[in-house]
Amino acid sequence: MAKIWDKIKHSAESFKGKVISLPETIKTSADKMVVRFNHKQLMNLRRNLEFVNVELGGLDAKYDKKAEAKANAFVRSANKKLAKPAFDACDKEEYINALLADKMQRYDKRAYMSHRAVNQSTARALFKATAKGEDTLEILAKHLEKMNSLSAKRSAFEEKLSAEKEKFLLNNSTADDTAYVTLNATLEKQYEESCTAVATKLAEAKDKKRAKLTAKAEKLTAKIASFKTEEKDRQGVADDVVLSVKNLKMYFGGLKAVDDLTFDVKKGEVFGLIGPNGAGKTTVFNCITRFYNATGGDMLFENKHGEVVDMRDFKVHDVILQGISRTFQNIELVKEISVLENLLVACTRSYRTGILAHAVGLPLLKKEDRIFKQKAMGILKFMGIENYAGWLAMGLPYGILKKVEIARALMADPKLIIMDEPAAGLNDAETKELTETIRRIRDTFGVTILLVEHDMGLVMNVCDTVCAISFGQMLAIGTTEEIQKNKAVQEAYLGVADDEDSATEEENEQAPVAPETEETDKGGN
Amino acid sequence: MNKFLSNKYAFLGKEQKANTALTNKMRGALKNSTWQFLIFGALICVIGYLAVNKVIPYSLQSGIATTLAYSIAAIGFCLLMGYSGLASLGTGGFIGIGTYSVYYIMNESNMSFAIAIIVALLVSVVIGIIVGFISLRIEGIYLCILTLGLSEILRNLYMALEDTIKISNFEIFGMLVKRQSSIYIVAVVLVVIMIITQNLINSPTGRAMLAMKNSTAAAQAMGISLIKYRLLAFVICTAYAAISGVMLMVCMRAATASDGTGFYALITSLNILAAVIIGGYKSIWGAVFGTYIMYGLQTTLLNRIEVLQENPVIITFVSGVLVILVVMFYPGGIAQLIWELKGKLKKLFTKLKEVRYGKDLG
Repeated sequence: MAKIWDKIKHSAESFKGKVISLPETIKTSADKMVVRFNHKQLMNLRRNLEFVNVELGGLDAKYDKKAEAKANAFVRSANKKLAKPAFDACDKEEYINALLADKMQRYDKRAYMSHRAVNQSTARALFKATAKGEDTLEILAKHLEKMNSLSAKRSAFEEKLSAEKEKFLLNNSTADDTAYVTLNATLEKQYEESCTAVATKLAEAKDKKRAKLTAKAEKLTAKIASFKTEEKDRQGVADDVVLSVKNLKMYFGGLKAVDDLTFDVKKGEVFGLIGPNGAGKTTVFNCITRFYNATGGDMLFENKHGEVVDMRDFKVHDVILQGISRTFQNIELVKEISVLENLLVACTRSYRTGILAHAVGLPLLKKEDRIFKQKAMGILKFMGIENYAGWLAMGLPYGILKKVEIARALMADPKLIIMDEPAAGLNDAETKELTETIRRIRDTFGVTILLVEHDMGLVMNVCDTVCAISFGQMLAIGTTEEIQKNKAVQEAYLGVADDEDSATEEENEQAPVAPETEETDKGGN
Repeated sequence: MNKFLSNKYAFLGKEQKANTALTNKMRGALKNSTWQFLIFGALICVIGYLAVNKVIPYSLQSGIATTLAYSIAAIGFCLLMGYSGLASLGTGGFIGIGTYSVYYIMNESNMSFAIAIIVALLVSVVIGIIVGFISLRIEGIYLCILTLGLSEILRNLYMALEDTIKISNFEIFGMLVKRQSSIYIVAVVLVVIMIITQNLINSPTGRAMLAMKNSTAAAQAMGISLIKYRLLAFVICTAYAAISGVMLMVCMRAATASDGTGFYALITSLNILAAVIIGGYKSIWGAVFGTYIMYGLQTTLLNRIEVLQENPVIITFVSGVLVILVVMFYPGGIAQLIWELKGKLKKLFTKLKEVRYGKDLG
């Protein structure tokens, strides 16, 4: 092997500088593989830790439930044991009266239905007869006959019951409650004893389990900490910045969709990205979420675990694990499954079980499902759509589906939510509600929100910082008021004074809300 | 106050309660899909037992066995088309993997049946991975054409290897398997496959596949890797087809590669496609029922009618018309039809109740 390796090295060295150096490329790719492997392991460890923490949190409720179930089981068995002594103890006449009353009640319930049927048929027949002008007396006579037969049946049943009562009283007449009292007393004593025994036993088990879980958690945290030994610096990202885009370039052949764009998104703010059609807003999103491979530039992001990472190191489907989740311009939900299951789709990567476990249907999978379903119900409640949890996504109205999509984005515990035109297709009331929702999400979950929107009302209402771009280049960045007053932005939306193209008139509808300034009314003419 | 027997006559309705609890349990079991599959398997075994004891004709049993063997491939195709949104016309070629591994392992090398199944699975997994990688770049009708080509390549390979293959009786766990009793094995394997598929469909894997089918972009944004799930879908489809081939060999005992209507021909792939479309491309029961219409109906029922016996073309004609009608009116297949009928019947019953007892009935 060594000889071969030397040969490869030698041949590679002869090519050095001319083409590529083979060993180095091998080494870098191997390094990359190691990094990826480590990353995957770290991810698994974190996932396991999360599960252990969830289990620790639900420990008390679980053992309370167990204790309650045991107590209920004891009561059930005691009731069974007490049944015969209680029968002996009770007053026989009272007992048989209660029994027969119950029977009579059930008979009446059944008889009610046949009375209904007779009434209905008579009413129909009468209606027909009167419509035709026929004689109704015959029908009424028939009705009476039927009713009489029904009441005769009832009285026969009553007679039968009274006969039963007499027979019963002949056989059993004495009441003896000594056995019942003694048994009841012993059982009550036993119940209390067993309750305390179960409580101590369960407390012991609980402590054991807790110790086990905490040990597991400590082990996992120690392992995770050992991965962090070569801690990276923040790579020039300020402490309060969650996403820093630097000199982002995205070229499609000769077309510069995004050209040298730089902006910072601060923690806990709502950041709006606006611009006329074709300005490259969605392209920026797609670059951040790795749908497009950016031509140049850096996208540094502080992930869920507080490390600053370069988004270019990740594949599209790994972005969500770093803490970026997104919603789409057109609703992209799975239509064949329920709303709740749609939320679970976002958790696919959080499951510990693999495909084989899914095929066999392990109980661990059910446990995980339960945990995630609980979480999903919590989020649906937060969005105010918990009543729709079991509904298929197929026939639901558009406004609800938009909410479901936001809920799905929340399921992945994101640090940054990217919304692509959240208000598209919503009416005024729904847009107003969406504004509220976006604020509530930011306040309760502590996430940062980055949104592209054409509805200027929403942007100006909800955004803390707005960045306006046009043809892939930055026009202005600042607070909403600054953007409204910015001349470059107004020109981009409304056109320059001398332009009288029809295109500018169309763009006019999407202008920012700033009609008071002098320049704005030039575009219309 | 007493802790126990809070209601003095609580033990009155004890017997009734026990009864209702039992029936409720049985109802729950009938609604549980795993139990349904097990009951289905038991029914098939009963049919096999009756046929072995010559209570019912043998042709019926063999028709049902063939249907069950093909329906394994149909279930795999169901998972591929209905849940992953991919298409394939290579089922015929994939079935050959199973038949030839049975032939070479059991007949030529005298090894056991289990090893034949394992080899069939391994080979089919390799081929599934290859097709899965191709499916990352090609989609839709082009994927169909490509898998069709692959299937034809495999068929020519089979013809070059050995045109006609035959196996004799063999043993499983020391029990001799005759051709008549092969239906038991097929039933057991089918039930296992059904349960596995149902578990997969209801698990995160099934949801991820559905998400991938609906929108690849959204699926990727939700952390679903396209490579993983497309490979998985094709691996499952080819593996099921290979197992179906093994089962076909177990019940038919012989196969000819150059036969234009044989196992590996294009007609098999098309029939499976038609079966899944007729039955409903998202339902396991639908896949089994569709396969019965395509493969079992003729041998079990229609051959007893003289007109059809003389002109078997009519059956092909009817199945073609059925496909057209189903695609036009019930895109979800017969599964959708039954689902809608259930809803309509429920409505009808409530209406009948209203007419009989009046509207304000609680």
